[in-house]
Amino acid sequence: MSSISRTLRNLRKVGIKDAWHQMNYIGDTKAGTLIGTDKFGNKFFEDKDDLPLRTRWVDFAKHDYDSGHIEPLWHAWIAYAVDTPPSQDPLMELGKRAWAPKEHVPNRTATLGAYKTYSTTRPKISAWEPYAAPR
Amino acid sequence: MRPHTLIKYTASLPRTGLLPALPIAPGKRYNTEQTSPARQPRIPPPVRPTLAVSTEKRPNSVTEYALSTLDGLINWARQGSLWPMSFGLACCAIEMMHLSMPRYDNDRQGIIFRASPRQSDVMIVAGTLTNKMAPALRQVYDQMPEPRWVISMGSCANGGGYYHYSYSVVRGVDRIVPVDIYVPGCPPTAEALQYGIFQLQKKMRRTKVTRMWYRK
Repeated sequence: MSSISRTLRNLRKVGIKDAWHQMNYIGDTKAGTLIGTDKFGNKFFEDKDDLPLRTRWVDFAKHDYDSGHIEPLWHAWIAYAVDTPPSQDPLMELGKRAWAPKEHVPNRTATLGAYKTYSTTRPKISAWEPYAAPR
Repeated sequence: MRPHTLIKYTASLPRTGLLPALPIAPGKRYNTEQTSPARQPRIPPPVRPTLAVSTEKRPNSVTEYALSTLDGLINWARQGSLWPMSFGLACCAIEMMHLSMPRYDNDRQGIIFRASPRQSDVMIVAGTLTNKMAPALRQVYDQMPEPRWVISMGSCANGGGYYHYSYSVVRGVDRIVPVDIYVPGCPPTAEALQYGIFQLQKKMRRTKVTRMWYRK
């Protein structure tokens, strides 16, 4: 929470319902303009009158959210690496950059798709391969 | 025949069931363009699962509802005051200090570094673990009260990293203590460690404390 007056002022601006939602997820009341929504449904907001480094924030689509759910270009915007959001920058449109991945893959740690280590070295032993001959 | 040549050989054969199913190397997809569809039914590429662990169940009785709520309360309390043992070994410790300094300000999440293992819940192993330090690390871990967690921070702690082939360095802290979260990087940024802490909190949220007690 930044300050009581700011919290109450933002509460009056956004209303009780949104303020309750924000207090549960951000821990502060925020009032700003909706800049864009990414493919996963995360909503990105900006309020230029707020304190520095508190002007941009995200409303995650998932309840059990994770900062890896944000698309990379939106991450650049929300981390103040770029000025223009990817929805307004023609250079940052999806599909324009051939080398970029087609879709963002969120962090799969603790799911079935989690990364598992494997060895890339040549095996030192040759195991017996069970093989049933046709009869 | 060596196994890896066998795998290559069978990938170009039609799958008629004569040969047993062979393990496909991870990260490698089925190459469906190699054989014509007339000879072989098209094998769909394996679907990478995105769901949570499938053993997770919804509560369906009053007891289960009560216990899962109780678990939620316990996990909320645990993840809200995660006291790390300050175990800084090398340059990763600098990033660990950045995390508790005002910019990232770990105190707001109830993360307060403790000097004593007897007061701490999580040990952040930040840096290269040498052979000489390993018994001390194990002793500190043994002194921590249950429940305890370990975050391995940086490539040196994850698997030896730059010093993997050194004569005096442990090749990964998981050879000494069980590790919950591995944070990659050399060193990881303070944000990366923060993300690792969030992942640990996510792991703690899934802990079934009273449900496992009830199951016994």
